[in-house]
Amino acid sequence: MDAVIDRNIVDEIEVEESSSVDNSIKLAIKNVSKEFKTRSRTVKAIEDVSFNVNKGEFVSIIGPSGCGKTTLLRLITGLERDYEGSIVLNGKRVEKPGLDRGVVFQDHRLLPWLTIEENLTIGIKGDKKQFASLVKNVLKKVDLEGFEKAYPSQLSGGMSQRASIARALLREPEILLLDEPLGALDALTRYSMQEELEKIWLNNKTTMIMITHDIEEAVYLSDRIVVLDTRPCSVKEIIDINLPHPRDRKSRRFEEYRSNVVSSFRSTIDSYAYSI
Amino acid sequence: MEVSTNAGYAADRKIFNFQNIKDKSNIFGGKLSEFANSAFVPVLLIITWQLLSNAGVIYEVILPSPLKVVKGFLEMVENGTLWIDIVVSGKRVLIGSFWGIIIGMAFGVISGLSKIVERILEPIVNVIRQIATLAWIPLIILWFGIGEFSKELIIAKAVLVPVYLNTLRGMKEVSKSYTELSQVLELNRWTYLSKIVFPSAAPIIFTGLRLAIGNAWQAVVAAEMLGGLTGLGYALLNAKDFVRSDKLIALMIVIALIGMVLDALLQLLEKKIFSWKYAV
Repeated sequence: MDAVIDRNIVDEIEVEESSSVDNSIKLAIKNVSKEFKTRSRTVKAIEDVSFNVNKGEFVSIIGPSGCGKTTLLRLITGLERDYEGSIVLNGKRVEKPGLDRGVVFQDHRLLPWLTIEENLTIGIKGDKKQFASLVKNVLKKVDLEGFEKAYPSQLSGGMSQRASIARALLREPEILLLDEPLGALDALTRYSMQEELEKIWLNNKTTMIMITHDIEEAVYLSDRIVVLDTRPCSVKEIIDINLPHPRDRKSRRFEEYRSNVVSSFRSTIDSYAYSI
Repeated sequence: MEVSTNAGYAADRKIFNFQNIKDKSNIFGGKLSEFANSAFVPVLLIITWQLLSNAGVIYEVILPSPLKVVKGFLEMVENGTLWIDIVVSGKRVLIGSFWGIIIGMAFGVISGLSKIVERILEPIVNVIRQIATLAWIPLIILWFGIGEFSKELIIAKAVLVPVYLNTLRGMKEVSKSYTELSQVLELNRWTYLSKIVFPSAAPIIFTGLRLAIGNAWQAVVAAEMLGGLTGLGYALLNAKDFVRSDKLIALMIVIALIGMVLDALLQLLEKKIFSWKYAV
């Protein structure tokens, strides 16, 4: 609990000074390139990507499908290795997966044979009674109170995805990595889940990186949007979104940001179309 | 039920509806009409068979009438031989299957854990598999005689093969996304095995078990026909020797029914154990 309060205080100070203070950088991605070698040829998936993510920041990565954004996230997760450049989290180079990074996959990946409670606490060592209150707290955060004993098959898509966010939050990660977390949901659920996600982020102050191909979603949630170019994947533009939370989708400034991102995104799509 | 926009209530309603739909398909009338559909052709055949027998078209010794088959059945029930034979055969299946399952699963799990063991064991089991259970019987009789052990060994062989192969397959077919999950959550090897690998392999292993029990039931009858003086297989031979085709057919029907009941019970068990898989 103390750590959480500390973090909040630090955040406030940083906001007052400057957000580019070096020690506020949570994740530093520098000149990252990645190649996939097949028997016949080498495919360059990512080329020279650099950007930083500050403590407590929400950063979205958008780009056309197949542009390598998921590969980028998998590199940060540690599921993909052997890259050039450096990915440094809290001063430590990322080499393999670890609990300092929480991951939310596009599919919720809850184990169907375990209850929500068991899914959330899998692999955690310690007292069973302690778990109960931990689980209760984190389920409250994602609006799933009372579903401890439910099985994943009894939850809707949005609820399952919230449970999987809870599973990541329970481990109090330094950074939460979301790989198109709402991509598989229907439009209405998606809309309300964006608001849920905003709430979770505001309450937890967890640093988050989200992959998405939904521009409105990115503008609604992010402090910054990294627009990726395609083939190979490289940073095209980084757009700051200076809007207060909670955001109003109907406001004029929201619409301005949205069309900014659209035009940036469109030029990548055009070049993508020419490259085919 | 209260009307509410709360997500919790929405989910409650979902579960509630789900059970409702389930109940509808289980209404007795539904099941009954299903049964009537499946029974239609067999009943028609039996009636035709009986009518032809009555008319004297079918020679009794070759194919006794359904009524005679029923009488033969009742005779075996009354003198108690049927029950004794069923118990004896059942016991053999139980003992043989027990060892077949234990050994097949143990080897399957070890093969699933170790590539080296898999490379040693899997080809051997595959070779054994190619030789039909019936073909093993002469050699086993030559080595171990026609006692209980030989019969149990034959059954164990029939059970071991599908159990081993399915256990191995189940353990190897763990979805890559679950493996990644275990990496991301830094699960230790034991948690990974007990919470992810075994549960995800379990339905496939159970399929192997169902195949195995079917095999065992077939194997016991075959083994008993080739030696010994008890069991359903022996009873079949005995009925043939005394030209009691009515008993012969009655015994075959009993064997079929017991096999079907065993499989139905296992299916029921499967649905109970893997309820998470069927609750969609």
